[in-house]
Amino acid sequence: MFSKVLIANRGEIALRILRACRTLGIGAVVAYSEADRESLAAQLADEAICIGPADAKRSYLSAPAIISAAVVTGCDAIHPGYGFLSEDEHFAEVVRAHDLTFIGPSAEVLERFASKEATRRILSAHGLATIPGSGMLRDEAHALEEAARVGYPVLIKPSAGGGGKGMRLVRTPRELETTFKVSRSEAMAGFGDDSLYLEKFLEDNRHVEIQVAVDRFGHAIHMGDRDCSVQRRHQKLIEETPSPALSDVARKDLAEKALRAVTAAGYENLGTLEFLVDAKGKAYFIEINCRIQVEHPITELCTGIDMVALQIKIAAGEKLGLTQADVVSRGHAIEFRILAEDPAKDFRPQAGQVGDYLAPGGPGIRMDSHLYPGYEVPSYYDSLLGKLSVWAPDRPQAIARADAALRELLVDGIVTNIELHRAILANQVFVDGKVTTSLLDRVGSAPFVAAGNR
Amino acid sequence: MPAPLGAAKPGPTDPERTLRIQQDHDAIARLADELLPALIAKLASGGLGEIEVRQGGWKARLRKLATVPEPNKAATAEIAAHARGVGHGRPGEREGRGRDPKEAQQDKVVAMSPAVGIYNPRRDLAVGMRVRAGDKIGTVDVLGVQQDVVSPVDGIIGSSLAEAGEAVEYGQELVRIEPPEQAPTSEAAAGVAAAGPEAVAVAGKA
Repeated sequence: MFSKVLIANRGEIALRILRACRTLGIGAVVAYSEADRESLAAQLADEAICIGPADAKRSYLSAPAIISAAVVTGCDAIHPGYGFLSEDEHFAEVVRAHDLTFIGPSAEVLERFASKEATRRILSAHGLATIPGSGMLRDEAHALEEAARVGYPVLIKPSAGGGGKGMRLVRTPRELETTFKVSRSEAMAGFGDDSLYLEKFLEDNRHVEIQVAVDRFGHAIHMGDRDCSVQRRHQKLIEETPSPALSDVARKDLAEKALRAVTAAGYENLGTLEFLVDAKGKAYFIEINCRIQVEHPITELCTGIDMVALQIKIAAGEKLGLTQADVVSRGHAIEFRILAEDPAKDFRPQAGQVGDYLAPGGPGIRMDSHLYPGYEVPSYYDSLLGKLSVWAPDRPQAIARADAALRELLVDGIVTNIELHRAILANQVFVDGKVTTSLLDRVGSAPFVAAGNR
Repeated sequence: MPAPLGAAKPGPTDPERTLRIQQDHDAIARLADELLPALIAKLASGGLGEIEVRQGGWKARLRKLATVPEPNKAATAEIAAHARGVGHGRPGEREGRGRDPKEAQQDKVVAMSPAVGIYNPRRDLAVGMRVRAGDKIGTVDVLGVQQDVVSPVDGIIGSSLAEAGEAVEYGQELVRIEPPEQAPTSEAAAGVAAAGPEAVAVAGKA
């Protein structure tokens, strides 16, 4: 096991990693930027070190600053948390070159799964279904042929694009005929490359992911699924486990398939395989996250496994110490991302000083947050203030406990999305477990909030 | 020591940095000497709760403390004072943990660490030595790459706050720089300059 870990992150996850280190009885050093000098993790840590200015490029994204901090404080491992350098294979490589351990997959594994396209090919070869699509489209006739093969509706995508830019939804051959030329010239104008391909468009899809853990001896477990369909512009807002979108048979099948594929592909450490599940319940693999996820607490609540501790143990070269039979998921858990965003003002991020702060309590309630009364939320980083996670024996009770907890949660001085969460909880579509990834964007948050206020 | 990090380390060249430090300090001094007294007077006399002024890439924001009943004593001045990349005028400094409050009160200029690493003062560094703003005082070894520690002002080398070979963090105070001939003018350039008994300096480059 490591003797001391450098925590190269901030906010609630820095605190979470600090707690895991203490539980494991290993030392921890919190690396912070100037803007996070007063952060809870830096204050609670036995040791904390300022690595640079507020600008993340010169602190949390600076490999030299982070590695130098680990070296001078005598750490033997670096935990990158999520975001920042957590999936950067070059960083993992340099960390290793300095005789330190990167807590996560090895640089080779990160590199193998760095490209989404390559990852889909690898895991598809190991039996996971991917969204049906074409290769590069030669011309309009070829596009029509391919669209007919994968089935309408389809998305026309520029090969050089990314993040949804330049995509066009086409529902009929006639639409495709008119769109094709436009898409081509748009792609040329936007990306300097007019190559197009198409992909089947999954209407009313759900986002379901499978949590896995693999040690370096090839022992592998899955810890069930999480449903992250409540999203706003591809940002997850509420996550729950188990997913209401899958039957127990489908759930077990998907988890086992995912675990088999990822193990066969040589994955190591904690990982999350993300799928889109269509209205018929068919799951298409989209990508893998090679790190601890924001929404890991709900899996911890249901399985009782400390996933961050497990991640550290795997990185230290220890065996999983768990077989699939040891992993028992009980009850239902829901997580709410408490964000400093104003739903009434197009979710503009908020910064400023927190006045009163009170975390909720009661059975099955867990709050992961770096807030405290008087804390100044810096404007340099993401808007996550904390995560409220709720466990109950079943989904209706989890919803009831969540609503009570959200009413108790007090964050004064900063506009948050707490009321939006309560409104979503009260919405029939959510109660029925039928929220799809596009719902919030399609209807907007205003109707939710308005309905919730009645 | 493996090489890849060193090559990737960005950093301004010395003349650029020196020039920037000088410009930053001129700007801070101008703010403290000319602008702030006028703004404090204006805030204290008027009904405004907050004033913000922008000038040449710098901003000063003054805010009345709502909890203090007498408006005259309530003006809190906030000077923008942390120059990018120079490592002085840390925003959290006034509330720095574990710092002696008395010491924090004193007007002082210090050379600070530009990075996390191992500090080594210049070999000939001695108390009483004269330095100019931008002069190299020592280095911080960041994984084998030396980053310069420079004096933020013209002055005289005072006491050392870190030992040779000591691990230092970003922004750590390393060497005191005493004002030349005890001239009080460098107060404003300290980055922690108090514009009056009721005023506290903070910062942010606009």
